[in-house]
Amino acid sequence: MNKQAELDSLLQQVAVSGEKLTGTDRRDFLRKGLTFLGAATATAAAGHMPTVKAALPPEEPAYGKTLGKPVLFAPYGSPSKYESHVQRRTVEWLTPDRISSISFTPLADLKGIITPSGVMFERYHAGLPDVKPQEHHLMIHGMVERPIILSMDDLMRFPSVSKIHFVECPANGGMEWRGAQMNRLQFSHGMIGCAEWTGVLLSTLLEEVGVKPEGKWILAEGADGSHMSRSIPLEKALDDTLVVYAQNGEMLRPEQGYPVRLVNPGWEGNTSIKWLRRLEVGDQPWYHREETSKYTDLMPDGRSREFTFVQECNSVVTNPCPEKPMMKPGKVWVEGLAWSGRGKIKHVDVSFDGGVTWREAKFTSEVFPRALTRFGLEWDWQGQPAMIQSRAIDETGFVQPTYGQLRAARGENSIYHKNAIHTWKVNADGSVVNVQIS
Amino acid sequence: MFKSPNQVQTMLVPAGLLMAALVLGAGYVQAEQGTGYYGYGQTATPEQIAGWDIDVRPDGLGLPEGSGTAEDGEWVYEEKCASCHGSFGEGVDGYPSLVGGEGTLSGDGRPHKTIGSYWNYTSTVFDYINRAMPYTAPRSLEPDEVYSLTAYLLFMNYIIDDETFELNQDTLATVRLPNEPNFIPDERPDTANTRCMTDCRDPAAIEIKSQATPSLADELAAEAAETAETVEPPAQLAVVGKSVYDQSCMLCHGSGLAGAPKVGDVAQWQGRVAVGSATLYKHAIEGYQGEAGVMPAKGGFMNLSDDEVKAAVDYMVQESQ
Ligand code: HEC
Ligand code: HEC
Repeated sequence: MNKQAELDSLLQQVAVSGEKLTGTDRRDFLRKGLTFLGAATATAAAGHMPTVKAALPPEEPAYGKTLGKPVLFAPYGSPSKYESHVQRRTVEWLTPDRISSISFTPLADLKGIITPSGVMFERYHAGLPDVKPQEHHLMIHGMVERPIILSMDDLMRFPSVSKIHFVECPANGGMEWRGAQMNRLQFSHGMIGCAEWTGVLLSTLLEEVGVKPEGKWILAEGADGSHMSRSIPLEKALDDTLVVYAQNGEMLRPEQGYPVRLVNPGWEGNTSIKWLRRLEVGDQPWYHREETSKYTDLMPDGRSREFTFVQECNSVVTNPCPEKPMMKPGKVWVEGLAWSGRGKIKHVDVSFDGGVTWREAKFTSEVFPRALTRFGLEWDWQGQPAMIQSRAIDETGFVQPTYGQLRAARGENSIYHKNAIHTWKVNADGSVVNVQIS
Repeated sequence: MFKSPNQVQTMLVPAGLLMAALVLGAGYVQAEQGTGYYGYGQTATPEQIAGWDIDVRPDGLGLPEGSGTAEDGEWVYEEKCASCHGSFGEGVDGYPSLVGGEGTLSGDGRPHKTIGSYWNYTSTVFDYINRAMPYTAPRSLEPDEVYSLTAYLLFMNYIIDDETFELNQDTLATVRLPNEPNFIPDERPDTANTRCMTDCRDPAAIEIKSQATPSLADELAAEAAETAETVEPPAQLAVVGKSVYDQSCMLCHGSGLAGAPKVGDVAQWQGRVAVGSATLYKHAIEGYQGEAGVMPAKGGFMNLSDDEVKAAVDYMVQESQ
């Protein structure tokens, strides 16, 4: 065979292989030296339906008739490829580029109360930095007796604690102040995640350096290009602030501040500085850009509240939601998430008629302070239109407000701290829409 | 309670002696080791602190030596800032505007928050430019540049009128911003909902005030189609790349059949890699006629997704470095 003929025959072969790589062709194909993985690809490309049919009894599914992949096929595992729709997403018009930007947690597809680290929302102000743990250091100085610089190894020698807490951007839901706008749960409530955080109590480090009596505030600063900085009252720092290096059992993900970040439980996510490099003790707040130009709340009278740290009690129904419409009439397990920066969730009530009557939901997860809490209740849906709401009450007795109450107190220009009772409108066709009602 | 060895020693000997003992006793312990209860880390020296301690406070504490005027700042601004913030500070392509907005904070219109209309302290302008701007090159400015840019932005916002007014360690904190008195402490909780369970409102009075555009079904369908094509999560790309290569590309690229550049042959790939992966992907996905021969689209395996072909290309390039 000359070269051209060889090529022609080869091309013919591969063309055939691409088109119909099933049944007897597959047998020929295998004989021609191509591995069976090609068949798997072709089957996948053909869509899921045939596989599903073949898997129903009395048929034996294909994966029961072959060997699977060996161990260490994926030394660090990933979610099933069939879950690839579960992704962080962004809303392009929110920011001029993706460097100082935000992506949202896919709440509709998540279970329980722990957010998988890989889909926890991202917020960067100067992009995602590549921080080498061997190079990274944390400096603690200012009004202290013994200013120190800690390497990551040094930091990780201190006694550690592990706590489950949510981290929420105070702008979560901020696009909804003036009216319902985002057409999915991911965008209406997805600037939140909850994880088990492991690290050192900041109080331990502050004891180590010895805070002078004049010390009242702490400046926390990041190592990335934005050098994100926030002033934190010493009271909080001595209470429950964590200097965190691990999340959900492994070292922090880069997106979450690897190798070290702050976590201020229950407070504005922005104060939980990522890529933490510096803590300075002082006697006054610093009034930096992220606590003046941003993260202050403009009231209708033109005045602005500053240092509004706490993320107040909030909740949302996660099933149904726009991404998870009603499938068919019958019994439905309605569930959702509730959280409060002031402590534990005490009750969650759910209404199906826009707030006329309410039923108390059950907690279906553990209830931790300043953590996401999962609730659920059964609903008999007979195809009628409905307005589903959830209303959380925390251990301080605070009841999640209505939009009316929130706007009466703060107008519509606040941007941050929108925790109003949310309404999903269920249509007769089962679709679910984000609405705001009178 | 468990006591660390350090603490046990601290109780027996004064700190100075302890340090000496540690230094003598263990060669790897440096003199500047931390002196707290655990003694981990190193004492931060004044030079080290000075390098990172960049923060500035409303009273001017933290300002470095240096000075600048609005006149100087105009040039720096035009060169390093105007491309995003606009020549007049108006902001371009969605980047923040830095001027204007007086009188927009209350009333019906949208508030326009700027240094002039909203910020409370001049120090914040200096501090922020110094720590985060210009966006693409943070921490690249000299103190004089930061002073002059601060002066320029104050001038553009009608906070200072004199273009030659010198901003420095002593004068910066004396310049006050108009909105400073309008910041108040957190007043929350400021809502008082009650826990009503039945007959909580008149059903007839419920009215939909606003509704998100329900285009979701289309969006979800498009995404499903997209993700169906890219089923492999990125972490497995390397694995995918090899398996795709092994079954669909090795045919030609393993032996150099039909003129295909041989994987592993650095010389044959060098020039191609230099052209950039975008071209390699395009050629591999769409096919092309080159000098060495014909590369069929996706090697002829049209059942491969674009991402699978890209993964194979990545693998081939990686193996040919
Ligand atoms: C490449 C685009 C770009 C350039 C160039 C740039 N900036 Fe910025 N600037 C931004 C972005 C983006 C933000 C918002 C960042 C964020 O919020 O994370 C910003 C924010 C600011 C702010 C705060 C605005 C507010 O209302 O809070 C100031 C002040 C500022 N820049 C000044 C400057 C100065 C001075 C320069 C020149 C030395 C400069 N910028 C160059 C993109 C740019
Ligand atoms: C039938 C033979 C054949 C098969 C099968 C084949 N290639 Fe090629 N490929 C070629 C030839 C011939 C060239 C060289 C074309 C030239 O540069 O003149 C080439 C070139 C390339 C190049 C270099 C493109 C450039 O711009 O220089 C890439 C990348 C490539 N192939 C990727 C693949 C991938 C990926 C597969 C499997 C999915 C594959 N090829 C399968 C024949 C083949």
